[in-house]
Amino acid sequence: MKNLDIKQVELTETVGNIYADSAKMSIRNADVYYGSKQAIHNVSLDLAKNQVTALIGPSGCGKSTFLRCLNRMNDTIDICNITGEFTLDNQDIYAKNLDPVLLRARVGMVFQKPNPFPKSIYDNVAYGARIHGLTNNKAELDEVVETSLQKAGLFNEVKDRLKDPGTGLSGGQQQRLCIARTIAVSPEIILMDEPASALDPIATAIIEELIDELKEKYTIAIVTHSMQQAARVSQHTAYFHLGKLVEMGKTEDIFTHPKHKLTENYITGRFG
Amino acid sequence: MITDKIINNSSGFTTKLYLDKHISRRFNEELEQVRTLVMNMGALVEQQVNDGLSALLNADLDLAQKVIDRDNDVNNMELEIDEYCTKILARRQPAASDLRLIVSVIKSITDLERMGDEAVKFGKNAIKLAKGNLSENSCSENSFAETEGARPLIELKHLGNHVSKTLNRALTAYAQMDVQQALIIIKDDKIIDEEFDNNSRLLVTRMMENPREIKNALRVTWCARALERIGDHTTNLCEYIVYLVEGKDVRHGNMNRIKVTPPPLEISV
Amino acid sequence: MINLKDNSKINKMSSTARTTTLSTTEKVTLSLKKRHQKERRFKNVGLFAVLFGFMLVVVLISDITAKALPAFHQHWVKIDMDYKANWLNIDGSSKQSILAKQMKKANYRSALKKSLYLMFPTPSGKSLSRKDKRQLFKLFSSNAEFTLKDTLITTPEHLNKQISVWVRLDDDVDSYLKEGFASGEAGLRLSKQQAQWIKQLASAQRIESRFNFSFFTASDSREPELAGIRGALTGTLLTLFVTLLLSFPLGVAGALYLEEFAPKNRWTDFIEININNLAAVPSIVFGLLGLAIIINIFGLPRSAPLVGGIVLTLMTLPTIIISSRAAIKAVPPSIREAALGLGASKMQVTFSHVLPQATPGIITGAIIGIAQALGETAPLLMIGMVAFIVDVPTSIVDSATVLPVQIFLWADSPERAFLAKTSAAILVLLTLLLVINLTATVLRSKFEKK
Repeated sequence: MKNLDIKQVELTETVGNIYADSAKMSIRNADVYYGSKQAIHNVSLDLAKNQVTALIGPSGCGKSTFLRCLNRMNDTIDICNITGEFTLDNQDIYAKNLDPVLLRARVGMVFQKPNPFPKSIYDNVAYGARIHGLTNNKAELDEVVETSLQKAGLFNEVKDRLKDPGTGLSGGQQQRLCIARTIAVSPEIILMDEPASALDPIATAIIEELIDELKEKYTIAIVTHSMQQAARVSQHTAYFHLGKLVEMGKTEDIFTHPKHKLTENYITGRFG
Repeated sequence: MITDKIINNSSGFTTKLYLDKHISRRFNEELEQVRTLVMNMGALVEQQVNDGLSALLNADLDLAQKVIDRDNDVNNMELEIDEYCTKILARRQPAASDLRLIVSVIKSITDLERMGDEAVKFGKNAIKLAKGNLSENSCSENSFAETEGARPLIELKHLGNHVSKTLNRALTAYAQMDVQQALIIIKDDKIIDEEFDNNSRLLVTRMMENPREIKNALRVTWCARALERIGDHTTNLCEYIVYLVEGKDVRHGNMNRIKVTPPPLEISV
Repeated sequence: MINLKDNSKINKMSSTARTTTLSTTEKVTLSLKKRHQKERRFKNVGLFAVLFGFMLVVVLISDITAKALPAFHQHWVKIDMDYKANWLNIDGSSKQSILAKQMKKANYRSALKKSLYLMFPTPSGKSLSRKDKRQLFKLFSSNAEFTLKDTLITTPEHLNKQISVWVRLDDDVDSYLKEGFASGEAGLRLSKQQAQWIKQLASAQRIESRFNFSFFTASDSREPELAGIRGALTGTLLTLFVTLLLSFPLGVAGALYLEEFAPKNRWTDFIEININNLAAVPSIVFGLLGLAIIINIFGLPRSAPLVGGIVLTLMTLPTIIISSRAAIKAVPPSIREAALGLGASKMQVTFSHVLPQATPGIITGAIIGIAQALGETAPLLMIGMVAFIVDVPTSIVDSATVLPVQIFLWADSPERAFLAKTSAAILVLLTLLLVINLTATVLRSKFEKK
């Protein structure tokens, strides 16, 4: 795999600062097409290492599509065509010789709706470690499951019923189970697609607290519809509009004095 | 398509505040209401300052008492606006310009309230000056005002006029969100400070010349000091205007940050 | 001022409009009755449809059951059998081993006849006329001599003794006893004299009704009182076994490939259309295909459950593929995404998540397909499974027939007793169907629990 230099691109449409001092992942001039329809227009940005980057924007602005490009989840969609440079630690993630399976082991994903497998809590967490052969014996696997559940702040709640089905947990617990499942593979980046949108405020707060802890070890990108959530959990915020990255910058700057009118309109709840 | 154009001609930078156009019409109304309340409070404080000044200069005891009494209204207005802002913060969780508006309002009313307190000082000192002159010095009824002591009061009048005018300009700028005007006012604060220094020097000289007048001279000094404070509060107001519109904090000598503002002004910072 | 006036005018107009027209509550109340009526009417129609359908099923089942009941019991008669050695053409003095051989070859028919003539002496003491002799012999099943033979072989000491032996009555007599119609009627195969004898036997407590075990243990026969369904049932089970073995893995594999792996292009669209069409092809066409290709070209044996199973596989495959695809499609995409997001390969996603989730649906589809195959006749007629086969098949390459074909054959037979047999066979077929469906339900709930 050849190393790519992170290009300094000319920003024609984005205001603010897309560059991070220590970028874990860099995207340059990304275009995404669904058939003939262009969903993402020339997006460039960095995901700063061990920090949370929030992607916000109105529905259909392409933020989820963009997020799914980062671990090649869009590969499963036949009509989806992606161009541009996507690098993870300076390695091209769309390189021909890179197996998406390997990429997804490094870039985990948590989805909007809690989607535990219809298996036991233990099997849910152990699944990733099993398929990748990360552990040699049962004891190691037990440990991976336990530490992952602990990191996800779920272990104390479920330690007595690891054999119960994961679908029997509450919504917030299910989502934390999904996070534990993702952590169990020990990825480098965790992508979260509206992880708390289906949860009540308490469960949301727990997830947000968890995200804050997780950023010590992982680089996190989170798509959210809740601007307050983006403001609470992220260090960098990128505002997408109609498939374009309109503005990116430090979260506190975006939420106190955004530079672009569209960003301002969106986060203050005005007509576009 | 319209939004596209805005992006393409890169004129999308926020240069002006739009308080309307929220999806929630109630929110528009609430923000408008807050601004109206602040402007009302500003108008009241301005009147207090002016009335206090004229009571002092004209030894108008009735007016002085009126100013003292009306301070209660100013205080009540501060409380009312504070509460209104808290309500908006709790219910709307404003962001960006809305957040800046609320923050600047909360800060502005504190400064306005302080200005109101300074105006009360005028009233109190006006009464004390008048009463002191009546009881102590029967031979010269208003010696300090009209005889040889006329100079400091004239100086004070000068300073007062200047501060009053500046306050008026600041409130107008506040109403119009006029950053350029605000920046000019911030810069002009130096002039007020210089005038205050001149005034102080004059009064010190006077006190040395005529120790009997120390008491009165000190009273005048306090009033001058109050005027200078009002000038400072006015400057604060203007800084909030800049913060509100530009999202930049220009307090405590951070003026150089504002350099990037597109239209260059005649001020050199 | 003008504006104010206009406004007041409008207000007035609207207020008058309000007083003349009805309020919402009143309007809703008015229409409510009508709406409720409609709802009630629809409910009644639906209830009627359900009841009507249920009634038809009840009528059908009860009719078949009523008609089938006579087939489950059978009349036996006790005769006084004289195992006279000379009648049987056996040399009673010979050694044990030779005796056993002779017993196997002995002429039981003539011994039976002679015993019968003794049982029914004429009042005058004369011997019976030839016609009477024939009629008397016809009262008993053609199987009677074999019953006698078996009895003697198991108990050789009965030789030269008169023993009471139970033998089957002929099917005509059986029908007569079951249905009790008048003897000697036109179209009936029982004369007045025969009826007289039967009466005589009955009054002597020599006739007995027994449960018809042989219906389940015997194979097809030309004689209704001997015919059973064991051969057809075995044939059916063997054929279904072959069908299930072939169509289930093939169908599921095909469905999984088409749903999960195949690229979505014209080719797969074309295949999909063809599969859908295949499900609607008349089943006899598959029979022709089986005859032309499987038997004529590949040379597999005719009438064999193997060929029947292959032909039925062709028929059920589209059903299984279509229902399996539907079941696979119904697996929530979030599960697939979750597994993919963890870095599972497509194969792992399919076999550890999609397939287990789709299993209940796939099983249902497979059962529907198998049930369809169970009742199929036409394609099997084409490959020769319609033959008269007396032996019970023991492997998938033996000649066999299946239940529906057996029903068809029996329904076609002229003997009155086959009417009941037909209904009984139908009952057995329906029971088999019920068992299959119950199995499916049990399996389904078991997989759904997981």
